[in-house]
Amino acid sequence: MPEARPLRSRNLAFLGFLLLLLVLWQAVWSVGLLPGYSLPSPAQVAVRLAELARDGALWPSVQASVVRMALGFVLSAALGLALGLAMGLSTLADSCLRSLFLGLQTLPSAAWVPIALLLFGLGDAAIYFVIVMSSMAAMAIATADGISHIPPHYLRAARSLGTSGVALSTRVALPAALPSIVTGIKLGWTLGWHGVVSAELIKSSIGLGFLLHAGRELNDAAQVVGIMLVTIFIGLVLDRVLFAWFERRIRVRWGFAPDTSRG
Amino acid sequence: MTAAAAAGSAAAPARITLSGVTKRFITPRASVDALGPLTLDVAEGEFVVLVGPSGCGKTTLLNLVAGFETATDGEVRVDGAPVAGPGPDRAMIFQESALFPWLNIEDNVAFGLRQHARMSATERRAVALEYLRLVHLEGFEHAFVHELSGGMKQRAALARALAPRPRALLCDEPFGSLDALTRERLYAELQELHARTRRTTLFVTHNTREAACLADRVVVLTSRPATIASVLAVDLPRPRNFYDPRVSELAGEILAHLRAEPTPSNGGRDA
Repeated sequence: MPEARPLRSRNLAFLGFLLLLLVLWQAVWSVGLLPGYSLPSPAQVAVRLAELARDGALWPSVQASVVRMALGFVLSAALGLALGLAMGLSTLADSCLRSLFLGLQTLPSAAWVPIALLLFGLGDAAIYFVIVMSSMAAMAIATADGISHIPPHYLRAARSLGTSGVALSTRVALPAALPSIVTGIKLGWTLGWHGVVSAELIKSSIGLGFLLHAGRELNDAAQVVGIMLVTIFIGLVLDRVLFAWFERRIRVRWGFAPDTSRG
Repeated sequence: MTAAAAAGSAAAPARITLSGVTKRFITPRASVDALGPLTLDVAEGEFVVLVGPSGCGKTTLLNLVAGFETATDGEVRVDGAPVAGPGPDRAMIFQESALFPWLNIEDNVAFGLRQHARMSATERRAVALEYLRLVHLEGFEHAFVHELSGGMKQRAALARALAPRPRALLCDEPFGSLDALTRERLYAELQELHARTRRTTLFVTHNTREAACLADRVVVLTSRPATIASVLAVDLPRPRNFYDPRVSELAGEILAHLRAEPTPSNGGRDA
């Protein structure tokens, strides 16, 4: 595994690669392979983003998307964990829900938008619905899998120490399944982020999806590419900073990965 | 405050009786007779070691006493009451420590004390520390499982099992994955712990020297389905040294009894 390389050199490698991509992009634009209205140059994108930021259009939209995502995600994670726990503990619940959830997962998040609009009209409720439907199933399945793959001696040890019923779920099953649950939450976050932007594309007057849509309406390729980059950036930062750190800690503590934090 | 005082009245060690116990595992494709019929009486405070060919059903026997599995026939009783499931009166120690990685060592050891509803968090902590001292792990109460060596993990598992003052201790090859030096230290510590706490102990192993070093009585099991091949009472003085020639001699004797048993043809794992 590439884990052995120190973090700093990995980050440097990534930055170098990013720079290379920018140079390639600039090169493709310079030789004029594609017409200027469909492919902007890196500089044009940067200028457009700066304009959007200066006009006060960018920040409120970033905020709107992130807040929607955070609220929708909390709702989705709560539902996903509860249903996943039920699936992990009850064969009946698992038989009923697993195939349904696997089926729902095959739908891309944009496919939830039309039905969300029909069900909830033009309010933010439709966006929350899309977030939940895009991300909940993945989190439920990860939780259920985590629980059904708990090493049996954890449960046996807990039972022979006098633990049963609800305490067995909350004090043993859930924490024992945590590594798998965190992986599910990470995946759920990414899928939910897809959901927000997809929903905003079609219905909204604010948000990253709305700015994408507006950019296309105005034939403003620089705005479209710029907002795509912002969307990627936010998703990546949250994944790398928040979840990756948490996931790493858990993997070390659960004994799945070596502890590199000490000498 | 001593651990005994904190954990409430000292519970007497249990008497474990198995009468005509059999266990048959039925899968869609086959039915396997894993055990019995087997009759065994373990006295209060006795240290009984079960040895047998690999895959013979030693672990199954332990699981029946622990209440993780139910007997197909016959009865398992603890102090006359039939075993109806796992319970805090019978603590189990596994080959892998089964410590919870999400808790630190102190919270692991205190885990089983939560059933004592009248114990406060401070009392639970005091008891946990007392037992950590007993297994020579003082100073590691805030460590996490991944920071301990294999031997320290099994010590912590021992402390966790003993802290709620179970009446019997069930050990499933607890030292099987440890290196020789660590094992030898733990034999001494386990003997000392047993002398102090007198918990009735059922200990499964395939290591004959380990059996000779620890047991009041060695029960040699036949290959599957496991029944009792022979019983050897051990009256060597304690504490016993792993390298005591009398221990070696007894180990040889146990081995001879084991060799008389045909090894199972499938060479399978302990069922």
